[in-house]
Amino acid sequence: MKNKTNFSTIKVVLSYLKRYWFLIIVSLLFATISVLLSLSIPIFIGEGIDLLSEDTVEINKIINILVIVGIIALASAILQWAMNGINNRITYNVTRDIRNKAFDKIHTLPLAYIDSHPSGETVNKIISDVDQFADGLLMGFTQFFTGIVTILATLGIMFYLNWKIALVVVLLTPLSLFVASFISKSSYSLFHKQSVTKAKQTAVVNEVISNLKAVKAFSREDEELERFDKVNEELKKTSTRAIFFSSLVNPTTRFVNALVYAGVALVGALLVIKAGGNEGALSVGVLSCFLSYATQYAKPFNEISGVVTELQNALACAKRVFDFTNEAEEISDKENSELIVSGGSVTLSDVSFSYTKERELIKGLSLEVESGMHVAIVGPTGCGKTTLINLLMRFYDVDSGEIKIDGQNIKDVTRDSLRGSYGMVLQETWLQNASVRDNVALGKPDATLEEIIEACKASHAHSFIKRLPNGYDTIISDEGSSLSQGQKQLLCIARIMLALPPMLILDEATSSIDTRTEIKIQNAFSKLMKGRTSFIVAHRLSTIKEADVILVMKDGSIIEIGNHEQLLDKGGFYASLYNSQFEPSEENKNA
Amino acid sequence: MKRLFSFMKGYRRECVFAPLFKMLEALFELFVPLVVASIIDNGIEKGDRGHVIYMCLVLVVLGAVGLSCTLFAQYFSAKAACGYSAKARHALFKHISSLSYSEIDTLGTSTLINRMTSDTNQVQTGINLTLRLFMRSPVIVFGALIMAIVVDPSFKVSYIFIITILALAFVIFGIMLISIPLYKKVQARLDTTLLSAKENLSGARVIRAFSLEKKEKNKFHNKTLLLNKAQKLVGRISALMNPLTFVIVNISICFLIYKGALQVEGGELSAGKVIALYNYMSQILIELVKLANLIITITKALACAKRIDDVFEIQPSQEVKDAEASKSESFIEFKNVSLKYKGASECSLENIDFSVLRGETVGIIGGTGAGKTSLINMIGRFYDAYQGEVLIDGKNVNSYEFDYLRERIGMVPQRAVLFKGSLRENMRWGDKEASDEEILKAIDIAQATDVLKSKKEGLDFEIEEGGKNLSGGQRQRFTIARALVGKPEILILDDSSSALDYATDARLRRALSTLEYNPTVFIVSQRTASIAHADKIIVLDDGKIVGIGKHDELLSSCLVYSEIYNSQFKKEGA
Repeated sequence: MKNKTNFSTIKVVLSYLKRYWFLIIVSLLFATISVLLSLSIPIFIGEGIDLLSEDTVEINKIINILVIVGIIALASAILQWAMNGINNRITYNVTRDIRNKAFDKIHTLPLAYIDSHPSGETVNKIISDVDQFADGLLMGFTQFFTGIVTILATLGIMFYLNWKIALVVVLLTPLSLFVASFISKSSYSLFHKQSVTKAKQTAVVNEVISNLKAVKAFSREDEELERFDKVNEELKKTSTRAIFFSSLVNPTTRFVNALVYAGVALVGALLVIKAGGNEGALSVGVLSCFLSYATQYAKPFNEISGVVTELQNALACAKRVFDFTNEAEEISDKENSELIVSGGSVTLSDVSFSYTKERELIKGLSLEVESGMHVAIVGPTGCGKTTLINLLMRFYDVDSGEIKIDGQNIKDVTRDSLRGSYGMVLQETWLQNASVRDNVALGKPDATLEEIIEACKASHAHSFIKRLPNGYDTIISDEGSSLSQGQKQLLCIARIMLALPPMLILDEATSSIDTRTEIKIQNAFSKLMKGRTSFIVAHRLSTIKEADVILVMKDGSIIEIGNHEQLLDKGGFYASLYNSQFEPSEENKNA
Repeated sequence: MKRLFSFMKGYRRECVFAPLFKMLEALFELFVPLVVASIIDNGIEKGDRGHVIYMCLVLVVLGAVGLSCTLFAQYFSAKAACGYSAKARHALFKHISSLSYSEIDTLGTSTLINRMTSDTNQVQTGINLTLRLFMRSPVIVFGALIMAIVVDPSFKVSYIFIITILALAFVIFGIMLISIPLYKKVQARLDTTLLSAKENLSGARVIRAFSLEKKEKNKFHNKTLLLNKAQKLVGRISALMNPLTFVIVNISICFLIYKGALQVEGGELSAGKVIALYNYMSQILIELVKLANLIITITKALACAKRIDDVFEIQPSQEVKDAEASKSESFIEFKNVSLKYKGASECSLENIDFSVLRGETVGIIGGTGAGKTSLINMIGRFYDAYQGEVLIDGKNVNSYEFDYLRERIGMVPQRAVLFKGSLRENMRWGDKEASDEEILKAIDIAQATDVLKSKKEGLDFEIEEGGKNLSGGQRQRFTIARALVGKPEILILDDSSSALDYATDARLRRALSTLEYNPTVFIVSQRTASIAHADKIIVLDDGKIVGIGKHDELLSSCLVYSEIYNSQFKKEGA
């Protein structure tokens, strides 16, 4: 099962690599040549050493050999560098391709996905998972292949030089593999335990430090420290063990390596003595050459076992990313038919919708909104006010029934043209990390500064923007900026005052603005809304009293419909909501 | 930094033994080429089989002794590093929770969390590697050099070692010096892509509403292109490390053998000794690369240690002072108080002057940014007055012990947060010994009984981190109940009914007025409806009091108040 998913992930990775097939072949070729070249050096040096042991040292011969060694070393180094460069290029380009694709995905995903998945998780996939994957891929390229080539070539050369000593090395190899795999297996489970404890600790730290003010208001410092210490102690124990175990890999393989070295020295030396300096027999030079192979030989094993865990990790990361890029997308726009808004009449006929199958939210909703009408939607939290807006903007598609604007079904027009005909201000403000000017001009990028200032004046944002360090050029962002929630909302209102779309959606657009300022921008709002079909969701009943139609929603259906006076006279749910607002002042009058 | 070293206390033994054993291991390793030289010169040349076998056994013994030394060293260093970081984290956690609001504001919580977690981790890794390698690498590098000189005291060949070490050090550290700032650039560019991704997720609705998808995609692709370029550049430079060192070492070996050959011809060196020199050269290369990696880790760890130390440097700005109680009839009194936040150029509150009797209900109202929350935060001395004084029972709040002061106050903050744990545990924040009965009563007053009833586990209901498994309104009511459990003398509700509908809000206010311990209540709100019944309403505008009085008085006397009121209760035709 696991292998199967691994296999399919590898297939996707390969599809990304396909574009770079030529570079990959070149890289592999360079790797092979450079490894072979560097492995040939000990042979030449061995020959040189043999010349030393002769009775008369032939300096010229030695110089010839050494020059060859120098050239080989240089050539091998250049190839290695070129190979590294190519590998970097492949890896970083592939990760860039993947990252771009993952990012683009954000914009084609249905909002249902974005709403139901914490954004931190998704960001993690696009940024750190892709990064880890890159690390793994790069290591795989540079070390995995060269490692294997090195092992095979070393074995080949050793058997060619002297099969008896080579046999000693081969016989001792499994020991090294066994030790390395044993240790990495047990340290893997310890590391897993460590990361679980670490996550636990981070959760405590996160909770306490993010809410330090509450902790201090209740003098809970000691209790929270106690809670932290418990996890801290646990983490100390698990990480001591994990770190100790994992640090055993190197020394133990070094020891195994020492055994191989001693074995080669023993057999080699005895063979040299036995040969007694006969022609063609084992020489001291060959022995020294063997010894240097013996030190090099074990290194790739270590590296490969490291690379294998790294690759597994990289594959796990890649899988998370690919799962994300494979998420079902929004149904694409039918054709290139644009929505043409003539008056802005909106018709909902028998609309049903639910976020989850278990809970039906909107059922059989029908509504006729004439052009230029102002529709207010009120009701308790969770009654479906925002859902209705999600459907109007086609952030979500209706399950059944249809919504029409000026007779055109919104499913039959492009989303861009639909959304472009609405101006939307939401309770949750969103600002880009950009200048105030760019943020206001979001819906009309070609607006002049004069137009922008005009819109900001209308939304009463101008006075505070003026006081910002760089005025309209001040860079602001969604988080960590000094703007209050109310100021952010004013900027969002300025956006639509600038864009002037044919229809409006105001979802708690003024919830964070104090009521005095709200009154002040009311004029501008009234002017903006005049003649525009508008949908208004608000908590404050005062803001919706003037609407042409008030929809009172409860549990996903409209329970009352009418204007303010009609609904008050009716004495139903709306009337009780409205009166509860006045209750305290009534009390006060009695007092 | 001194403070950071103090956490090493209790791990002195480990800190001495770990590098000591590592050094021993290195020393044993240095003998290996000598043993091999002896095999060649004494064993092979003289045909002495016994000597060869004996020397090979010595090689195995050297390996085994080296292994056991390392085991000790690794154990000690792991123990010291993990023990150290645990101690540092404990101290840091304690220190951070001793900071006052004003320091928390300037630092920001996300960086504090980072320093608690990833920075301490980096320091831990740094200590671990330092203890393990700091002695080993120099011992091998310089040991190999010394051994080379021992083998060839005439310096005719061994001088090559000095040149090689210098050349290698130059290449390795040069590449490091060039690439470290480049890596920082890569990191910075990665951060901007992260910000982009985050922004686009949180703003998905707005981006779609304005049809900005294409533009955003292009922006992101440009950012990844820049990142890609930076990565390739640094990759190209650091990829030089291995090939360059490889060439240097091999060229040195060529020289070594050439010079060695001249010496052997002159009979001054044996072939075995030349091989020994050759082996030392290889050892140096391996260790220098390790040393370079160690230095990268250490620089990282030092930067992180500095960031941790910076937090320790910040001392809580508030301390308990002595003050005499003056006779006063009022329970809480603000005497000409001004508040200026750290780093701000202007006061957030100016000349606040009012007094409150025990048991009174005080409403505080004003627009966004008027200073409502600032004002109530001064009662519990979460911020110190810049000018003037805040008195409780005639005594300056800065003379009360924090615990005593804050136990008297039941605070319901604007942001309703509950912690992971059972509902009961959360409710006991105000009073550790509160009985279930008392808790249920508080929940009832906070209008949260229906929420409790909807959870079949009752008070054992497990709240997730941050209270995510409750809605905003439910959390808000539970935080009110939490404050009530402690039966506080002073109850502060900071815009705590914003998520409640009007009817629930009204019921809550009525229930609060029936509390038998009759607390003094401060209600902060933007709604006049929530505070109209108060004994005293303070109207704030731009950090100043613009009106104090009862609802009816203010309606006629305070323009700001009547404007706020009218904005919410505009009568038909008015």
